[in-house]
Amino acid sequence: MFRERIEQMIPDADAFFAAEQEWKSIRANTLKISREELLERLQAKYEIKEMPWYENGFFIIGEDIAKNMEYYLGYYHIQEAASMLPPLVMEIERKDFVIDLCAAPGSKTTQLAMMMENSGVIIANDISISRIRALTHNIQKAGAANCIITNYDARYFDKTGLKADKILLDAPCTASGKIIKNKKMIEKWKYWRVKKMARLQKALIKAACNCLTKDGILVYSTCSVEPEENEEVIDYALQRFDIEVEKIELKEIKTRHGIKEWNGKKFEWATKAIRIWPQDNNTEGFFICRLRKC
Amino acid sequence: MQIKKVLSSKEIREIEAIIEKNYGCKVGLHNYRVFMTGEEKIWIASKDIDFGIFDVLKRCYRIGIYFGKLKRNRKIKLSIEGAMIVGRKATKNVVFIGEKEAIKFIQGYDVRADKLINAEKNNFVIVKCGNAIIGTGILRDDYIENLVPKARRIVKIDS
Repeated sequence: MFRERIEQMIPDADAFFAAEQEWKSIRANTLKISREELLERLQAKYEIKEMPWYENGFFIIGEDIAKNMEYYLGYYHIQEAASMLPPLVMEIERKDFVIDLCAAPGSKTTQLAMMMENSGVIIANDISISRIRALTHNIQKAGAANCIITNYDARYFDKTGLKADKILLDAPCTASGKIIKNKKMIEKWKYWRVKKMARLQKALIKAACNCLTKDGILVYSTCSVEPEENEEVIDYALQRFDIEVEKIELKEIKTRHGIKEWNGKKFEWATKAIRIWPQDNNTEGFFICRLRKC
Repeated sequence: MQIKKVLSSKEIREIEAIIEKNYGCKVGLHNYRVFMTGEEKIWIASKDIDFGIFDVLKRCYRIGIYFGKLKRNRKIKLSIEGAMIVGRKATKNVVFIGEKEAIKFIQGYDVRADKLINAEKNNFVIVKCGNAIIGTGILRDDYIENLVPKARRIVKIDS
C-alpha cells in the first residue's frame, strides 16, 4: 500500500525507493568554533564537502564521526541535512522568544540557539523524560545558554498561557521520509499509524496556534511523506485558526511544493509549502510549512 | 529544577573574583544570568531570560548551562563548558597536554602534563590541547586527575 501511495504522490516513485545516502551530515556549532576552523580540523581526518544550502552544514564521509576530539568538544552536531531547514525558514532574530514544542533530542533547538547567538529565549519542550535527558546533554554540549527545558505534553502547552514570536513544531511522525536510511521501514509501514500520528499532530498544531503572538510565525515540519501528517494537518489548522500559509523559498536545494490534492481534499495553498524528497538531494524526506498568525 | 538563589550583581562579582584568583583572568559573568542550585552548583543563562517566567512554567527541567561547582575551599570545579569560557583568558592553573594524552583524557583516563602554567598542586586545572580547551582536572604530584563526566567520555575514540 505504501508504494501505491507514493506512486499517487509523485511520478518518480522508483527513484524514491532507490534513493541511497552515501554522505552523512554535520552542522558546525558556531557557539564554540568558527565554521572555517572546524572545516580545517576535520579536513585532516575526513572527506568533507560544504552543504550548498546552508553555510554551517557539511557533508562528511568517514567511520565513527561521533568518536573524535571535535565531536567531544561540541564543535559540531551530527544532524540530518534536511532537518537543518526548518530553523532556516523561521526568520529568526537574535532577541526572539521561541518555543520548540517537540524539541528532543535537540538538533534544531541547538541550531536555533546558534542562529540567535545565545541571545533571546528558547523554550525547549518535550513530553518524554528519557528524551529530555538527551536534549539536556545536547544543549549543555552545544553551550546553548538561552534554552529553558520544559516537560509538558505539548498538546496542552497553550494552557501555560505563554505566547511566542516564533514556534517550531517539528511534530512526531511515522518518519517515512527516513526510507533513504532504512529500507526495512517499508515492511513495518502501517496505515493505522499514519492516522494515529495525524490525530496527535492536529492536537499539537492546535496548541501551537494558540501560543502564537499576532504576526507570529509557526513552522510545522515532519520527516514523513504522508499527506495525512502534513497537508491535512495544515488544512485542519487553516480552517480553525486565523493563520495563513507563507511561501517558502530556499536556494541551492531542490524542493517540490506540497501535495495539492489527496483523498478528494484540495489544498490550494500547497504550492507555498515545500517537500524535500529523498531522491532529489540524497537527504531524508521532509515537509515544511510556514504559517503566520493574522 | 530547584533554583536556590539567583545571584545579585555583587554575588556575581564575588564569583568573578574567585575565578580571577583561581585562573588569573576576568570573566564577564555579568553578561549572563547566574544562579545556584543545590550542592552550590553554578549555572549561567542568557540575560534575556526573565525569571518571572517560572511563575507560569512550573514543569521546568533545566535552565541555561551548567558552569561549575563552588567548593567549600573557595575553588570552582568548572564544567567543560565553564572551562571553555574561562580557559580562553586563563593565565593560572592551566595545563597543556599532547594529542595522545588528550585522547586518553577524553576516554576518562588520568594523564600526564606537557606544560604547566602557574598550576598549583592538588588544585583544579583547565586542561588544554593546543588551542582546544578540553576540560578540567586536578593536578596531582605527577599526573592530572580526570574530571570528565562519564556521560561526556568517548570510550572508543579515533586518534
